[in-house]
Amino acid sequence: MKANKSIIVGLALSVSVAAATAQTKLFSELVGPGSVGSVKAGGALQVPFIIWGGDMATFHANGGLKTKSGTIFQKQGLNLNLTPGDDFVQQVRDYRSGKSAFLRGTFRMMGQASEVIGSDPRTKGVMIMQMTWSAGDHLISREAIKTVTDLKGKTIAVQQGGPHIGMLDDVLKTAQLGWDDITVKFYDALTGPGSPPEAFKDDLSISACFAVTPDMIGLCTDLNSVGTGAEGTVKGAHVLVSTAELSRSIADVYVCRKDFYDANRPLVRKFVAGYLKATEELVDKRAAHDAGTRDQSYINLLNQTVQIYTEEVLPNADEAHGLLLDCTFAGYPGNVSFFEKQGNLHGFEAFQTASLELATSRGYAKQKMGLFPSGLNYKNDDFLKYLNKTEAKQGERFRAEAVLSEIEELSSGGLLDDRTILSFTINFNPNQTDFSAVRYAAEFTRVIEMADKFGNAVVAIRGHSDPSKTLIDLIKAGNAKGTLRRSGTQGNYRYSLNGRALDLNDTSQLVDAIAAGDFDGVENYNPRRTMQAALNLSRNRAGAVKNSVAEYAKAQGITMDLSQIQPQGVGIAEPFIAKPRSMDEAKQNMRVEFRLLRVSAEVTQESDFDF
Amino acid sequence: MRLKLNQLGAWLGAVSTSLCAVPLGQAQVQVTDSVVVVVDASGSMGAEMAGTGRDRMSVAKDALKQVLDQIPDTTHVGILVFPQGNWVYPLGPRKESMLAGAIDSIQSGGGTPLGDYMKRGADVLLDARRKQFGYGTYRLLVVTDGEAGDARLVEAYTPDIISRGITIDCIGVEMASRHTLATKVHSYRNANDPESLKQAISEVFAEVASVDAGQTGEDAFELIADLPEATASAMLKSLSTSGNQPIGESPSMRSVESPSPNPAPSYSGGTTSSQSTSGAEDDPLVLLCAALCVLGIPGLVIFAIVKGKKK
Repeated sequence: MKANKSIIVGLALSVSVAAATAQTKLFSELVGPGSVGSVKAGGALQVPFIIWGGDMATFHANGGLKTKSGTIFQKQGLNLNLTPGDDFVQQVRDYRSGKSAFLRGTFRMMGQASEVIGSDPRTKGVMIMQMTWSAGDHLISREAIKTVTDLKGKTIAVQQGGPHIGMLDDVLKTAQLGWDDITVKFYDALTGPGSPPEAFKDDLSISACFAVTPDMIGLCTDLNSVGTGAEGTVKGAHVLVSTAELSRSIADVYVCRKDFYDANRPLVRKFVAGYLKATEELVDKRAAHDAGTRDQSYINLLNQTVQIYTEEVLPNADEAHGLLLDCTFAGYPGNVSFFEKQGNLHGFEAFQTASLELATSRGYAKQKMGLFPSGLNYKNDDFLKYLNKTEAKQGERFRAEAVLSEIEELSSGGLLDDRTILSFTINFNPNQTDFSAVRYAAEFTRVIEMADKFGNAVVAIRGHSDPSKTLIDLIKAGNAKGTLRRSGTQGNYRYSLNGRALDLNDTSQLVDAIAAGDFDGVENYNPRRTMQAALNLSRNRAGAVKNSVAEYAKAQGITMDLSQIQPQGVGIAEPFIAKPRSMDEAKQNMRVEFRLLRVSAEVTQESDFDF
Repeated sequence: MRLKLNQLGAWLGAVSTSLCAVPLGQAQVQVTDSVVVVVDASGSMGAEMAGTGRDRMSVAKDALKQVLDQIPDTTHVGILVFPQGNWVYPLGPRKESMLAGAIDSIQSGGGTPLGDYMKRGADVLLDARRKQFGYGTYRLLVVTDGEAGDARLVEAYTPDIISRGITIDCIGVEMASRHTLATKVHSYRNANDPESLKQAISEVFAEVASVDAGQTGEDAFELIADLPEATASAMLKSLSTSGNQPIGESPSMRSVESPSPNPAPSYSGGTTSSQSTSGAEDDPLVLLCAALCVLGIPGLVIFAIVKGKKK
């Protein structure tokens, strides 16, 4: 804990941010006027890096800030000079002037800069590589905010221009909210004084704030805990959404100037291949380190990272390892998928559309000027004969049985709500014989998009059935057995149980009678069997809906990981109306509920890359 | 209105009759229905059956084969024989060729621990149900002449088994008409009555639209109209939380709603069941999970503290 506080203080001193003011400005105004220069020839190439685990692969490939002999990049024939790029606005200035041919940031940050760099053919951006997905950014909310839909009408604190703007956009889309539905308070810093998490501590008008992992730990203790108010935590603060689940929200990338790219394509390919080689080695080293193997070269990299970022920002090697754990590498297969796979909802085209829309709608740009996709030939020997993990497939990311087990346990333990990021429901009609996408296209699309964005969350499809028949059979069984009797006339009935007058409000008397078997053993009316059939029916409803969603996705050309979607039958246990008075009320119980759930890491399958 | 209700009924029936009729897709836990047959092969079953010229066992075997023929192919079947105590056919997928041979292999002779074996069969069903998170249907089919050396256990276990939501069916061989298994179970067939053996396992409708075809839905609702919502809710909860602990035992943990490091165990002395009100499933997985949670939290905290990210 102490270590983390020192990081936060350290970051406050060192992180300079893109936005000069808290209000949204056109990105061109932030960058200011300047002329386009050509990229300087000869000597070491200047390549920016930022504070992020994905950049540790760059250090690994380069052997430090300057390319060292015997390293991956040196063997690739490269000579690089890595320079700090956390001031993104300055990066863009250097890119425009020709000091560097590269930009380093998140996809959505590139979107913000797209108009500035796109207005000259020489500086138009070619996105040459996706490095990582983030798993270390979090939206933290106060106690009353339970799911993302609760954000409507609330005030959210976020750093202006930084990586969380895109994440907020994704969260709002998930909740089907617009930016107009919330109040945004912008802050200059990502962390430390003048940052959203600091403001969240003192300003009770802020309902939720964005934070990186150390600040999240400071506010809530950990991903699944609620702040108690002790030890600097904020009472009731908890992680509402994290990129640990919203795993396809923040893509870290490199962009290259079009003129440089066109003139130096083989060099660019060598750079990308070298970086991907480094990620292959690093995921193995990271896993070995987690497994307790001591590898001096990995320790050296961690120490070197501490040196590069300074101890003020990153106090020690353990923190450097943690920084690396917060990112998921895309690797070679991830890049192929990102740039080339049709129907990839988290691929380049989808991100480009969302980024440009965000940049123009939020006032960073006046017009949409796109970036080019990498255009690299991934079949080239520079990749295929050089890299090892080119064949990796994106298999099922979850162990189905373990997921179901966890859902059932959370459900029976009454803990499901605590893990729910979002939920919505569809109802059925009596004449309906299937769950075709024609009727539910909007809901199914929402499920598919939600599952894609939240790659590490699970979608529970929970079927519910109506309990009327079970209750009716219970009453009929009692009547047939003679244990429960009714006399009098409609509107004025009197009831008796085992010969004694019964007040229907006397819940315990009826519950005890059920337990004692007073409604059991009647051939024609078996409420327990009806109840069991209702449970199975609800499970079948959920399963049928899952199949329809899968078929719908397939028809749209979208590949889904079906292990991420798990049907569950709730039966009559959670009726909307426990005692329906009419068919219309009964129908309200016949429903399927979609729940986006945070699940434990144990139910996911380990893999090197995510794509 | 009635037309609509009937259509819904037809649809519900189609969906609910067999779990396997609906393909559940990939990456999904499959659910099956299960029947455990408990066959009485005690000495009394070797006796000649009046008016048939055959022994009770032979008649029982034929009756059993006939009844099993009516069960869907996808249903898992298990056959437990007492007093020999062996599973001539362990609970699992049905293989026609082996099933008949298993039934034919049964030899009569020995005592009649009927109650004990009903419990053993039911416990296997409860275990199967636990593994399937409660989904599926669970039936205990008892083939017996009803003579039991442990009649008290039969009396005690029968309602307990029923209270867990297991359906008990009985094929009686010259059984006394007032026997518990003839009067207190869900269906009774006489092994020597061909018509009764043909009695199909009735379809179960889960929801109200299918109640009594001649009746409108609204009439059905009238029957429960006086029930207060809270009472209905409590009754449903009581029904749907019967537990998977072995027959004759009380749930060891009353509630899983607030797993604590030291759950107070609540054992009751009786062997009969009255525990289904507690709302807790005595599920070892739940206990294990609770234990893991308790142990895991400090570990997670340490892990989370070690992690860190700055941009």
